[in-house]
Amino acid sequence: MRWYDRITKIDRRIIYLLLTSLVILPFFLKITIPQNIMPQTKRLFDFIESIPPNDKAVMISFDYTPQTQPECHPMAKSLLKQCFSRGIPVIGLSFDPQAPGLAVDALTSTVREFDSLATNKEDSLVYGIDYVYLGWKSGRIAAQLDMGESIAGVFPRDYFGTSIDSFPLMDKVKNYKNVAIVVVLASADYPLDWIRYPQTRYGVNVGAGLTAVMAPKYYPFIQTGQMSGLMSGMKGAAEYEKLVLEHGYARTLGTAETGMNSQSMIHILIMIFILLGNVGYFFSRRSKKGMK
Amino acid sequence: MKRRIPLGICLIMGILMIIQFFIPHPVSLEFSSVIYKWVIVLMAFALVLAIGNLIRHHGQKIRKKKQDWPYSVVTLFGMTAMAVIGLVWGVDPDSLYQSIYLNVMAPLGGTMFALLAYYMASAAYRAFRARSLEATLLLVSAFIVMIGFMPFGKYIHARFPAFAEWVMQVPNMASQRGILLGVAFGSIATALKIILGIERSWLGGKE
Repeated sequence: MRWYDRITKIDRRIIYLLLTSLVILPFFLKITIPQNIMPQTKRLFDFIESIPPNDKAVMISFDYTPQTQPECHPMAKSLLKQCFSRGIPVIGLSFDPQAPGLAVDALTSTVREFDSLATNKEDSLVYGIDYVYLGWKSGRIAAQLDMGESIAGVFPRDYFGTSIDSFPLMDKVKNYKNVAIVVVLASADYPLDWIRYPQTRYGVNVGAGLTAVMAPKYYPFIQTGQMSGLMSGMKGAAEYEKLVLEHGYARTLGTAETGMNSQSMIHILIMIFILLGNVGYFFSRRSKKGMK
Repeated sequence: MKRRIPLGICLIMGILMIIQFFIPHPVSLEFSSVIYKWVIVLMAFALVLAIGNLIRHHGQKIRKKKQDWPYSVVTLFGMTAMAVIGLVWGVDPDSLYQSIYLNVMAPLGGTMFALLAYYMASAAYRAFRARSLEATLLLVSAFIVMIGFMPFGKYIHARFPAFAEWVMQVPNMASQRGILLGVAFGSIATALKIILGIERSWLGGKE
């Protein structure tokens, strides 16, 4: 077998072994490569920064599943840290039936982190005053549109079964007029519905945190101003973590930073293999042409 | 009559829902709010149907001892156990339900998705070849975006991230916008065909 045939027929077990090693390596070697912030990530961050404290709420639609947890979960935590640090109330909800478990985890872990740093009772976060999680609802588009009139009409009870009328936060937030932005953290095409329906009808601002494969579809909406910002995949999550850290809303970087290192290593490996495959293909084709 | 009544309801409701969307009058808003609540309830019934189908499908598989029937037992057990645990002990952050979700379902889901990386790497190596001009363009743009979006892309060349961003902002956006417009026009045409009764496949059965 010639060298160029050999490099096109590398055993897949070698590829798998290299892939596994490169995913694991960054977890042991703590390398911090500075992130360059993409404009759409900065735009979302700046939008949240422009919301006055204790005024309008940020609505986070947790619509990602365990499959995309490594990309979207750090986005949720960074966003929550920014909101809580700035005194912006948060309303969480979900339209993906797999999402509530992760939403509860993101909210609980961030709130516990904040409360562990609180020096007095007033510094700690209170459920129903600083944040609420409304849970999952069927009939996504109908629910999104109906919330423009009354959130309580669509979600009479929260995820844990408590009437939302008993929460002081929900006295202030009746519908989209009291919501500064809806940030959709999704692993499917949920943000498109928010743009098409509630934004068209009620003018609510929409931002998103999406998996990297979905993000290119949303670039036109950023340009038209229909979206107020976008976190794109693991990179977007790592960038938001960096922004949150730089502004003093977090003490350390989150998991997206390490994930980004693993992802970069894998991208390099895949590029090397694609190059090898193409070099082999090019020489083998040339050799066949020569023989003819 | 079995077909005319649903077609009539579809026509009337379709036109009414289009009109109400553009008229923010209190009467229109009240009407739409009622309809949205109906939709939410109807969609919840779809979940009941899905559960029914799942039980029937896997129940038959177990009864007839078809291939891999033990997996069906695990599926039905998992579904029933999670429903009972959630309904009896609640879904609080420290509940058993949440603990199972985070420690069983989340890692399993993540593992399934992670396997994709292996197939993608292997498939890209074997199939991603510069066989034509289009394939070469795809290959080059993929490399630019991947390198540009990597944290150390800027160390290869200072303008790499900006160039990758340009690929996303200009050629990608132009094609995405074209696709979105095509889909939107197609959706409008299909919706009109359904409302006017030209497209009747949603009724099921024969014409």
